[in-house]
Order: sequence, then C-alpha cells, then structure tokens
Amino acid sequence: MCDIYIAVVCSSNMNRSMEAHAFLAKKGFNVKSYGTGEKVKLPGASADRPNCYEFGVPYDDIYNDLLEKDKVYYTQNGILHMLDRNRRIKPSPEKFQISTERFDVIITCEERVYDQVIEWFGSRRSVYNQPVHVVNMDIQDNHEEATIGAFLISDMVTKMAQSDDLDNDIDELLHEFEGKCHRPILNCIMFY
Amino acid sequence: MASLSSNQSNTLAQNQLIQWINDAGMAEGGRRSDLLRKIVELMLHQCSSAIPLYIDNILSYVNDKSTDVKKQVISFIEELSKLHPQYIPKIIAELRLLVSDLVIAVQKRAIQASSIVYRNTLMWICQGRAEMSEMQFVWENITQLKLLVLNMIDSDNEGIRTHSIKFLEEVVLLQTPSDGAGDEFSLDTLPANMTFINRRSLEEESEHIFKLLVKFHNSQHISSVNLMACMTTLCLLAKFRPKFMPRVIQALGDLHTTLPPTLSQSQVNSVRKHLKMLLINLIKHPSSNDMMPQLTQLLLDIGMTTQEINKVLPKEKRNKRVGELKNGDAPAKRMRIDSPQSNSQGSDSNSRSDFNMFDDDTPPAPKPPVVPTEDSLYEGINNVDNVVNLVTHTLVNHLPSEMPSNFVNVYKAIPNSGTRAQKKNLAKMLLALINNKEEPEPIAPPSTSSLSDLTSKIPLLRDDEEKVTLKNAVAKLQESTKDRQIESAVSKLMEETRQEQLKEEERKQKEKEKPVAPPTPTVPKLKQKVKLLKLQEITRPIPKEIKERLITQAVSRILNAETESAIGGVAHMRAKFITIFASSYTPELRDLVLNHILEDPANRIDLALSWLYEEYAFMQGFNRHPVTLQPKVHEKHDQNYNQLLCALITQISERGDPVMEGSKDMLLRKIYSECPVVTDEAVDYLKHLVTEEKVALLALELLEELCLMRPPRAHKYITSLVCHVLNENEEIRDVALKAVLKIYKRTSDAVRKVIEKHSLLYLGFISMPHPPHELCDSRTGRAMWTDELYHMCLNLIMALLPTNEELIIEVARVYGTAGAEAKRCVLRAVEGPVRAAAPRQATQLSPAYVALLDECPRGAETLLTRLVHIFTEKAPPSQELVSKVRELYATRVSDVRFLIPVLTGLSKKEILAALPKLIKLNPMVVKEVFNKLLGLQNPHDENSPVTPAELLVTLHLIDPSKADLKYIIKATALCFAEKQTYTQDVLSAVLQRLSEEPEIPVLMMRTVLQALTLYPALGPLVLNILQLLIEKEVWLNKVAWEGWVKCCERLVPACGALLAGLGPRPLAQAAAAPRLLAALRDHLHQMPPHHRNALPHHVLALAQQEPAPAYPAPPTPGPGMAPMSVPPPSMTPVPSSTPIPTLTPVPPPNPVEPLPPGME
Repeated sequence: MCDIYIAVVCSSNMNRSMEAHAFLAKKGFNVKSYGTGEKVKLPGASADRPNCYEFGVPYDDIYNDLLEKDKVYYTQNGILHMLDRNRRIKPSPEKFQISTERFDVIITCEERVYDQVIEWFGSRRSVYNQPVHVVNMDIQDNHEEATIGAFLISDMVTKMAQSDDLDNDIDELLHEFEGKCHRPILNCIMFY
Repeated sequence: MASLSSNQSNTLAQNQLIQWINDAGMAEGGRRSDLLRKIVELMLHQCSSAIPLYIDNILSYVNDKSTDVKKQVISFIEELSKLHPQYIPKIIAELRLLVSDLVIAVQKRAIQASSIVYRNTLMWICQGRAEMSEMQFVWENITQLKLLVLNMIDSDNEGIRTHSIKFLEEVVLLQTPSDGAGDEFSLDTLPANMTFINRRSLEEESEHIFKLLVKFHNSQHISSVNLMACMTTLCLLAKFRPKFMPRVIQALGDLHTTLPPTLSQSQVNSVRKHLKMLLINLIKHPSSNDMMPQLTQLLLDIGMTTQEINKVLPKEKRNKRVGELKNGDAPAKRMRIDSPQSNSQGSDSNSRSDFNMFDDDTPPAPKPPVVPTEDSLYEGINNVDNVVNLVTHTLVNHLPSEMPSNFVNVYKAIPNSGTRAQKKNLAKMLLALINNKEEPEPIAPPSTSSLSDLTSKIPLLRDDEEKVTLKNAVAKLQESTKDRQIESAVSKLMEETRQEQLKEEERKQKEKEKPVAPPTPTVPKLKQKVKLLKLQEITRPIPKEIKERLITQAVSRILNAETESAIGGVAHMRAKFITIFASSYTPELRDLVLNHILEDPANRIDLALSWLYEEYAFMQGFNRHPVTLQPKVHEKHDQNYNQLLCALITQISERGDPVMEGSKDMLLRKIYSECPVVTDEAVDYLKHLVTEEKVALLALELLEELCLMRPPRAHKYITSLVCHVLNENEEIRDVALKAVLKIYKRTSDAVRKVIEKHSLLYLGFISMPHPPHELCDSRTGRAMWTDELYHMCLNLIMALLPTNEELIIEVARVYGTAGAEAKRCVLRAVEGPVRAAAPRQATQLSPAYVALLDECPRGAETLLTRLVHIFTEKAPPSQELVSKVRELYATRVSDVRFLIPVLTGLSKKEILAALPKLIKLNPMVVKEVFNKLLGLQNPHDENSPVTPAELLVTLHLIDPSKADLKYIIKATALCFAEKQTYTQDVLSAVLQRLSEEPEIPVLMMRTVLQALTLYPALGPLVLNILQLLIEKEVWLNKVAWEGWVKCCERLVPACGALLAGLGPRPLAQAAAAPRLLAALRDHLHQMPPHHRNALPHHVLALAQQEPAPAYPAPPTPGPGMAPMSVPPPSMTPVPSSTPIPTLTPVPPPNPVEPLPPGME
C-alpha cells in the first residue's frame, strides 16, 4: 500500500482542504482536494453577505474579482493570499460529488462534510466494489487551524502510507492517531 | 477508405501489442505491470481480435512474483468478463487461483473482481450462447469460488473480511428474486432450462448467506470498519430485496443496544453515526414503508427528535407517519421513558436470547380484540391491570398442581424481562397464538410442539438454529461440488473448526447470561411492576458524614484483616486495596493507614513502600485508575508523596518506641534506598540527623548509600554529605571525608563537580581574615583562625588532590592570597599528597603541575619551591621540571633558593653563575647545596654537572665584590671538610689550576696552606707552585707574599732552593724568618761549591751573615688585607664528628710553628 490515492475534502475547497493539499503534495503524496458545499463561499464584507461562486470558477477569476471589490480588505484578511496559493496548486475549486475518481482514502475536515460524503456514497450503488476509507477530523475554518490541521493530516497520511496493509491496520492506526492528536476521529468504509 | 485506414491502424496496434508483450516478457516488476496495463488497454479496446491469440500470455502472469503484475492480470480478468464474456471459461480458473493467492493485496483485489465476474458470468449464462459443457464448467468453478470467499469471512485479515462481505452482498443480491425493480439482474432472470442450476437451491443459499451476514454483523469481535461495511451491506440488501427488511431492522436495533465491547469511544461514535445515516437512508426508501414504526422507533432510540425524523421523511410518507403517531402516541412515549433502562440491561444481556419460555408463566389471556394486532396486544400487556388479571386468572384456573417434567427441562430464566423488546416479542407471540386456529387451548400451558412453532416465527436467531443455518449454507454449497472431493474435504475441515469456535462462543455467552438472570420465576413479575422506577427516584444519596464513616470503617476492617488475608493468600490484593484507599481518599484514611503501618513498621514496611509507589504514580500522573478514583480533595499529589515520605521517616526515627528502636537502622535504610524518589525534604532531614548524636553515623552512611545507589540525583544528595567535612566532631568529619572521597572516586562527573565546588569553597575560607560562619556557627561569637580550623578547611581538597591533581592550581591561587599562618598550614598539609605524587612527577610532570608551573599564581612562589623540592627529594629532577624552574627563575621567582632542588639538572655555567648567591644563604642551606653539587647524599648516582675541582676553583675566582670573602671562606671550608671528595689528587688539580691563573686569587695561598696541611705529600707540588709564584713576582702582592712565606716555612728545608732563587729584596724579607734563613744556609752548605759560586752574591751575602742580627719581623697586615687564617673551629659548620683537618695541623715537625700571617 505504498501508493495511496488521497482526497482531502472540506466545504468550499478553499482553505482547509487546499492547505492540506499543498502540504501533502509537497510531501510527494498522490492527493486531490474537493469541496462538498453547494457553492464556493468566501467571507464577504459582512457576515451575512458572503461571496459565492460556482464550483469550477477558476481561483484566478475569484482572485481578480475580489481584488476589484476591495483590495485592502481582502489582503488584510488573507483571502487574496490564500487564493494566490490555491491558483498555484490547481486551476479551480472542484465539487466532490461530481468527481469520478476512485480514492483509497478520503479525509474530511468537518463532520458536516463527512456526512455529505457518506450520504453521497449512500445514494449510489457501488459498481467496482472498491473500498475507500472515509476519515473525518474536525478542523476549524481559519488559517491557523488549517495549518495545524494540514500537519495532522500529513502525520496521519504518512502513517497510512507506511502501513503494509491499510485495510487491516486502519482501525488500530486511527485509534492510535486519535490518542496522539487529541481530536475525535470519525471513520467508516465505503465502496465505489 | 475508412475501412482501409482502420485496417492500417489495426495493424499498427497489433504490432505495438506484440512489441509490448515481448517487452513485458523481458521486464520486471513495476515496468512489467505498466506494460501489462497498456497491453490490456490496447487489447480490450482496440484489437479485440488479438485476445484469443494473446490471452494465455497475459494469464500466465498469474504466477508472477510482483503484486502489481498480478493485480493487472486481475483487472484484465475483470474487464474481460464484462466486455468479452465469451472468454469467461478461460479466466474463471485463474481467478479462483488468485482468490487464494498468498499475497493479501492480491487476494483482496481478486475478491473484488470476483463479484463483478460473478455477475457477468450469470448474465453470460443467461444469454445461453455458449455450449452447455462450458457453462457447466464455469458454474462449478464459480461455485467453488463462492465457497472460498464465504470461508474468508473468518479470515484474520480485516481487509479480506471487508471484501468478502461485499462479495457476499453481491451473491445475495444476485441469487434472490427482485420484487419489482425489473432493470436489475436477479434470480428471476436466470433461465429455467439449465440442468445444473437449481433456482430454488440458489435462493436458499442466498438466504443462508444473508443469515451468515447478519450473524457476522452482530458478532462481538467484529472490527468497527467491518461492522460498518456489514451494516451498509445489510441496508443495501434491505433496500433492494425488501423481504430482508424486517430482519435487517431487527439486526440494526440489536446492534444499537449491544455494540461490540471492543470498540473505542470514537469508533462507537462513528458506528452510531453510520447507523443513523443508514436508517435515514432506509426510511427514505420506498421499500421501507411497511416497517415505518420500527424504523421511527429506532431513530428515536438513537436520539433523533420527531421533528428531525419528519424533516428527513419524504412528503408522501410524512402524512402517513402523522396518522400513525396519533394511534401510537402513548406507547411511543412510554418506550422512550423506558429506553434507558432497556439500554442498561441490554448491555449486560443479549437481546437475541430466546424468551419463549415466558409463556409458561403468563399464558396468553383470552382477550380477543376485534382485530388483534401486534401493537394492540403490546398495549394490552403494557397495562399493569391487564397483566395482573391475566396472572391471577391463570393461577386460579390453569396452573397444574404439579410442575410438568418438560417444564423443568426446558425452563430458562428470562434475562431481559420487562423490557420493551421482550414485551414486544411477547405481543408477537400472543398474536401468533391467537392467529393459530389449530391451537386447541390457547390458555393451557403450551406443549413443546407449539414452542417450536413459536420460535420458528420469531425472527430472532436462536442459538441452535444459528448452527443449523450456517451448516446448511455451507453444506448446500458443498453438495453442489461433490465431484471435487478434495476441496470439499478441506472446506469441511474449515467448517468444522468454525463450528467449534461458534459453539465455544455460544457456551461463553450462555455462561455470561446465567448469573445475570435471577432463577426464580417470580422476579420477572415483580420487575414488571416496578419497571418504571428509576434509581434516582427511589434512592436518596447517603449523607457525606455517614458515607465517610462507612468508608473509614470498611478500611479499618481491611486493615485489621492482615492475618486473614495472608492465610487466604490474598495479601497482595489487600496491600493493593490499602494503597489505593490511602492514596485516593480522604486525609482521615491516610492517617488511618499511616498509623496502621507505624504500629508495626518492621513488618509493614512493604505496605508503606507500595503506598509510596502509589503516591509517586499519582505525582507523576502514571496512575491508571478511573477518574472517579482519582483524588480530588487534595490536588497536590507531589506534596502527598513528600508528606508521606517525611512522615514515615520522622515517625520511625523519632517515635522512640523501644520496639522500633532495634529495627530503626533497617527501616530507615529500606525507605531511603527503596522509595521511588528521595525528596529534598527527606534529604534535609537526613542532614539534620547527622547532628543527632546517636544516629549521626547511620545518617552519614545513608547519605553515602544514597549517593552511590541513586546516581541520577546524587549531585543533590552529595551536598548534604559534603558539608559535614567541616563538622566540629572529628569522628563525623573523618567519616564524612572518607565517604566523600569514596563517592568522588566512583561517581559521575556532575557529582564530582559538586564535590570539587565545595572543596574549593572551603579552601577559599582560609584566605578570609576571619573564619566564616560555617566554621563558627556553634562557637560563640567570632572565632579566630587556629591551625585546626585551617586544617579543617584544607581536609577535603587535600584528600581530593591525589585523585584530581588539577586542584593544585586552585590551592596555589588561594595560597597566594592567604596570610602567613594559613600559608604555613597549607605547606604542611600539601606535603602528604604531593609527596605521594612525587615519584610520578619526577619522571613525567603531570599536566596539572605543568600548568601550575606555567602559571605560578602571585604569592605562591614559596609553595612552588616547596613542591619542586619535594619532587626532587627522592629522584633527580626531570628535564622538564628543570626547564620550567629555570624559566620561572628567569622571569618570576628571583629567590635563588628556588633553584636548589634542581641544581643538579642545571648546566655548569648556570650553577657557577648562581654560586655567589648560593653561598650567601643560611649555612644549613649552603651545606645542602654543596651536598647536592658534590653528589653527596645522592642515592641516584647522578652526575653533577660540576666536578669538585671546578667547584673549588670557581669559589676562588668569585669576584669579591659579589660575595663577601667571609662567605667564600666558609664555602671553601665546607669543601675541605669533605675529605672523601677532595682527595689529594683533586686538591693538586685545584692548586695546579689556580696557579695558572694570571691573577693570583685572593684565597689561593690560604688554600695552598690548607691543602698542604691536609696532605703533606703535596709538598713538591707546592714547591713548584711557589716557584711559579716567584716568577710572577709574588712579593708584589702583599697578601699572597705572606702566604708564600708561610708556605716556605712549612717546607723547610726543601724550600732552601726556592729562597736561593729570590731577588735581594724579597729574600731579605723572607730571611727575616729565622727558620727560612737557616734553611737557606743549609741549602747553600749542601750545594757543591761551583754551584754555590754561581748564585747571586746577595744570596751568598745573606748566607754568610750571622744569624743573630735578624730583620725585623714582617709588618702586621694592614686593614683590608685578606685574613689568611684558617677559620677557628667554632666557625666551621662541619659536624663535630668529623675531624677538622684545617685546624689540626699535621703532626708539626716543629713545635714552635708560627701562626699564619695576621693571626698573631
């Protein structure tokens, strides 16, 4: 199991999943990232008016859009920086539910996202009978927590990659990891 | 045109394919699997015509070493079965082989492929285009494959289990008829004309497999991942094959109440979440319509609110649900109140156990509702009045007077009586009874046949039934493979072992259940009545004081049970309890246990120690007790430990209990050496004990042991020991010093550093004007320095010095700044250690001393001199030492005494240059210097760089301005005293040498005289010298001339010839001495006449003169003239034991010998 194919999923495929995507890719893992939300949502000028985009709109476009709207504001809250980072990794945010890839491990960053992933699997029939481990680790949606989360995810994925037989070891591995990172972990197995 | 180009590309592809196949044959591992992937791609999608040609090439890789290659073959098989099912007969055997591969990853991939291949195979069979024999062959293979995978559900590898679950799901789906959804493949699609396929047996088989899955799902040792996989599978089956729905919901419900005990908290969370998701999924599905109430109930149990459930429900269902709620409002509510209780019971008992026996006690009441349903019956038995009526009615009317024998045999206690599940089942059974018209007497106790009837209707699996179904499942499969005897034998074996395992499990489960259920049949009834009572409502918390008193009493009972527990062999358990009590509860309990230990500490010391360890575990956070046991009253665990340790020590050493007195040593030692950590306070106490007269030595010993036996903290303990080298009690001081020294030699660097630091501190004291308070705390006022105090301060460092010579530099530094008294003490103290080190230093100077000599701290010159002196006492100085000393003498130390120890190592020139200074020193020292230079007292046969003759000559040649003549005379006297050295030969050489000097040395004549006195045989030589002196006109030098005359007088009569050679004036002066004149005359008389005539006439004239009128005596030497006298005996430092040759003239030939000049 040296070559595991990983997906990191958060809600908007902007912050948490991208941070982990960047980190894991840098470490040489075979990784993709997704969002499960209806739309890509970014904080706007006020809490009740977020900036919404469709999945598939390039990071670059979003970047330019926000730059135009309020350069100072979005520079200050780090959104532009984040978008800049993201557009170097891949062109645009992707929606998990429309992806056709088959992963070995899917890591979700929030329980709601985990639910959505599980629900998606539950709503379709498995064709290939290929198992996939879905693991959730709660990460708050801010820059600092995303960074910490990326570290933790990297730790976990490294452990997974070191395992000779992940299907056999996953229970123990996650249990051990949970003890170390002091965050509750949810996991289950799904089939493609 | 188009066909042409497609032909061309086809040829191209074929060529490419062949090339890749060849390459793959040559390649290895990863590259081979890459090539294989490409080959498969190309072959399946572009040149399917090539498949029959090359299929064997690819399938041959089944036996490849590489896992990746095998996986590629499997995906090829998978794809092929889908795209070109006509090749299934070729691949099916290979797939079977791969499923039982040795590599787990390959096995998993093969199982995964199997379900797809199985589906495709069935479809291929349905098409019915192939030959019958081929199909039969494939069918046999696929049946075996199924059997293989079925057995894998018990594999050790969780991943394989997961995959086999998924495979079995597919099998069940395929082998059951679908109810409606026509597009899917199902059993109905299978053609009926195949002789080898029995549709019915297939359906049965799927039924068995389903049961197997349910059983696996509810087993206790399932991993969380597989549990969830199994849940998903069951739900999927329920969705697509609604006939399984009730059983699936039942299984999920059971799971909810009895989760496997092996799951961790977060796994439980995951499973519950998964369960909820699945149930929601189910409830949304149209096929679950019939099971709405159960599903809703389960969701409520899980913790969803009615609103939430309504929210997830599709609209058309929601209305229905509302209507139902109206009917079943009451039971729903009651159930919820009831649920915690059922949960708590459910965790102990297995809800799947049988409860049909309950009928015996409460036979169904003839209470026929118009249309009896399960729900209405349930409501009926939920009513207490109804039940009471029912029971009394039965008691009065139907209870047999004797217990039927079969009742005794079959009766089992009802473990979960009174729970909702049990009541629901009861209702179900009642309904079954009511509906069963053939039952003649519904009120009478049911016969055994009706019992079995009942059980068969209960959807729960009974233990024995489980066995049967499993066995059937496998047996059915085996039946179809009769011709493959060997394989079936193997699988039979496997099956048997599994059965044994199952039996074992069941037995265990039964054992577990037994004690839980009270065996009296009345209990269930009672329970039914009080079932709604909650513990919190019917009990009141015990008041705190009473609780604590009870605790105390309990603990004291345990404490008192010392002998009993020992007899019973549970002493260690008791000890464990006590330590937990003492460390985890109130201070009162601590005191209780502490007192218990102190009553008989010698025997209870082990208990004390294990308590100490317990406290230590708390302090360090190692404890493994549940949160409730952890002490909350006193949070500071480290203090607890420390307090306990100190309490034990002080109590033991101070109680003064006569019983304890004897074993005090042992106890204290045991505590100090065995406790997990010795706190600072405990060490301080030990330090304090040293001041107690009785235990001082013990305390010191303990301290020493602590330092040696507990190295990690020895640097902390050592300070308490080291400070006692300043103790006023000499005995303690000595013991402490010895202990420190012992530790110093054995211990780690850190401890050595501490010891050294202290030794330097104490050393530093001596340079203070007054003794510091460390030295006089017990003395009144400010003490003054005494030798003893100085020595106390020096003790430690001097003891360390032989081990660590580096310290000498510090000693020297402090010495430099210390007062005279202190210096004296240091000099004395340093003697011992340095003398011990001296033999080594003489040959090879150690680095410490080299550094010291290089540095030479200010004021320490005397110390250095002393050191160098000691080094050279027993051995000649090494070259290194000499050069160091020389350097120092040249730059820092001007005192010539510094050179003395190494004199013999210096060059001749240096010695001679230093000689004027040396002879000025104290006579004792001068004597030593000469001894060294002359090689006296010299055991090593070293060669002095200066010969005795040279030494004496040099003494004569010393410039009188540099050293007073007095010193030179004394020095020469010392030389003459050494007759052994200054023999006649040596002296003659000296005289010879002196006479060759251009200037006559001041003391020459004195020496000549002395030499002559010592060795009269030197006469001829002296005559020669005198003759030489005449040539030098000796008479011009007054001092020398006087000596010359004296010599002549000594040499009468031989000096006549000499006199004859003198000039007129000198002769006249010489002749003033009558003896000389006489000698001259005698000489002339003896001369032959012709010789006499040749003499100068003044000689002759003098000879003819009458001796009477003599010249006046020579004038007394004026002031400033060198004293020519031989020093009087009192002035010589030579020991009196040796004769003083200078003073005892050789037997005088003439008794009237005149005194030397200037002595008159």
